[in-house]
Amino acid sequence: MLHNAGLTLSDGTTLDDLINRDMNEVSLRVMNDKELYELEMERVFARTWLLLGHESEIPKAGDYVMRDMAEDNVIVSRDRSGEIHVMLNVCPHRGMKVCTAEAGNAHAHRCIYHGWAFRADGSFIGAPIEKEQMHGSKRSKDELGLKKARVHLYGGLIFATWNKDLSFEDYLGDAKFYLDQLFCRTDNGLEMLGPPQRFVLPCNWKIPGEQSGSDGFHTLTLHRSLMEGGIMGGTAESIYDTAPGMYGVDLSVPQGHTLRCLEAAQTFKMFADVSFEGKSTEERLNLLPPPGITKDLIPQLFKNLSEDQVKQLANIPPQVGGMFPNILIAFIFAPRMDGGASGALSLHTYVPKGPDKVEFVNFIFAEKDAPEDVKRDMLQNAIWSTGTSGTIEQDDADTWPQIMRNSRGHMSKTITLKYQALHGHERPEGWVGGGDLYPGFTKDDTQWAWWMAYYNMMADA
Amino acid sequence: MVNYATAAIDKTSVMRGLVSTKRVPLGSEVYNRLLETLYDEAAALDERRFDDWVAYLEQDLIYTAPLRLTRNGPNKDRDVVRTMKHFDENYGSILMRTGRLAKSAWAEDPPSRTRRFVTNVRVAESETAGEYEVVSYLYVERSRMDNPENETISAERRDIWRLVDGAYKLARREIIVDQSTLGMSNFAIFL
Ligand code: FES
Ligand SMILES: [Fe+2]
Repeated sequence: MLHNAGLTLSDGTTLDDLINRDMNEVSLRVMNDKELYELEMERVFARTWLLLGHESEIPKAGDYVMRDMAEDNVIVSRDRSGEIHVMLNVCPHRGMKVCTAEAGNAHAHRCIYHGWAFRADGSFIGAPIEKEQMHGSKRSKDELGLKKARVHLYGGLIFATWNKDLSFEDYLGDAKFYLDQLFCRTDNGLEMLGPPQRFVLPCNWKIPGEQSGSDGFHTLTLHRSLMEGGIMGGTAESIYDTAPGMYGVDLSVPQGHTLRCLEAAQTFKMFADVSFEGKSTEERLNLLPPPGITKDLIPQLFKNLSEDQVKQLANIPPQVGGMFPNILIAFIFAPRMDGGASGALSLHTYVPKGPDKVEFVNFIFAEKDAPEDVKRDMLQNAIWSTGTSGTIEQDDADTWPQIMRNSRGHMSKTITLKYQALHGHERPEGWVGGGDLYPGFTKDDTQWAWWMAYYNMMADA
Repeated sequence: MVNYATAAIDKTSVMRGLVSTKRVPLGSEVYNRLLETLYDEAAALDERRFDDWVAYLEQDLIYTAPLRLTRNGPNKDRDVVRTMKHFDENYGSILMRTGRLAKSAWAEDPPSRTRRFVTNVRVAESETAGEYEVVSYLYVERSRMDNPENETISAERRDIWRLVDGAYKLARREIIVDQSTLGMSNFAIFL
């Protein structure tokens, strides 16, 4: 079954040496290898769909934001007809950044170096002193536009790829059934509550990447303060016995997307001592709306999702997870002391900035149709728990660089990371959605699925 | 309705540090006492005496750190974006954060060693009697574990300090960081 991987590093190390599929082990060396990093740029980041933002960031014609597809800086802009374009922010003349602002509105981008100008769709307008034809005569104007990526909007999220062939449907695969429940559930969809928080961590992108492959286990220890704060239920003394919030259904798809679905009845018991028994889907949703959903929005769920999708959202909603290669999803409950809206909706991208640097980009959302005070609470909840100052992710951001420092050691990099606490695929009775399912205590299955997606992309020359 | 669009221009984003023109001169009693308070506050944070720090905070505290966003052309000075923040705190959330630091907050356990340098302090009387606008520059050096390279951050702080029972208490703080992409791994420390 195991075919030979088409990847050999210059010292003779193969992908199978780095990722041991029989043992479910990964060499720490993968976190710190220049050659591997270059191959990742080519085989993963230039080939898959990457998340850049949300259409609500650029509502008007000419609006644009500057983003990164790995180390390639791009302009994400809306043209006069309302269509969204993604193009390299690299002037085809001499390589200058065409756009120097992180956001704004412009119907034309004029390069400040020699003045070549481009429309919001990336097409070349011309160079100054038209009669001198300063773009020369060897290439037509059609050839001198900014290099464009393919764009796909999913629930308003802006994805782009350099891959000419990969359809977005094939990229999502069976994860769509679940992700729709988070991104495509209300009439007007999500709204981004401002530009993303951005900060740089001294570590390889795969360190946060593999955690976003639904590492539930680390919650108990690294995020212990959640239990101490009562957010996950239980107490500091009891958490290792009761393991609150650790049981549910984890799932993965071959594309490397993973999710943790947590039982609402369990969550409900933690937050409010009311039973879920014998209640209809609608009653359950009203008792405990999923994170980010207000009671007024519940009828919209029935309108936008299938019956099976609403049922899952009511009973065992997907809450955390990731999309391969570098997206983390946190659509979580975040109880407030003042009784305000108790959800936080965050997406992160971990954008590679060299083998030992990653940019953490934190996008924060609310449903567009949610009232303004709910949006305000949701923004605050997300800032309190995720991103720059978030009490959950402060601890992640401090841990990953320590792993990175270890990956430099001559002996240390021979250590293998263990993904051997495996449950194995098991379909719970009555489960409707697709993918590989791992019910019970959260184990290493989804993270291993993440590595297998990585393996498959890296092996494909 | 808040316009959350990233591309939108926040009209308030050109706000100056010091708004009031009723300057409190350098060397005056009020100025000296406020400067002393800023130094004492920095020491409380550097020495991780969080209870002492919380004692400086008013119950109606609003403590925020908006995002900076690089803009150009006619909008080049509108680079403070308040729809999104790095900190969005009130008195209760600060207590939540300091409470966490006393337990399992690995981001600060082992703790960072920090030095807060507070300079360029400008003071003015605000419209409310007994309240002062205090603008200061902040530079933080943060040493993490045995890493020989410090993380740093520079910012301007726009504060309101209120005279309560003979002592100055912090009622408002807006931290205007200088980076749009932060070079600091997290804000597990207060600024
Ligand atoms: S580099 Fe852009 S016009 Fe010359
Ligand atoms: Fe985490």
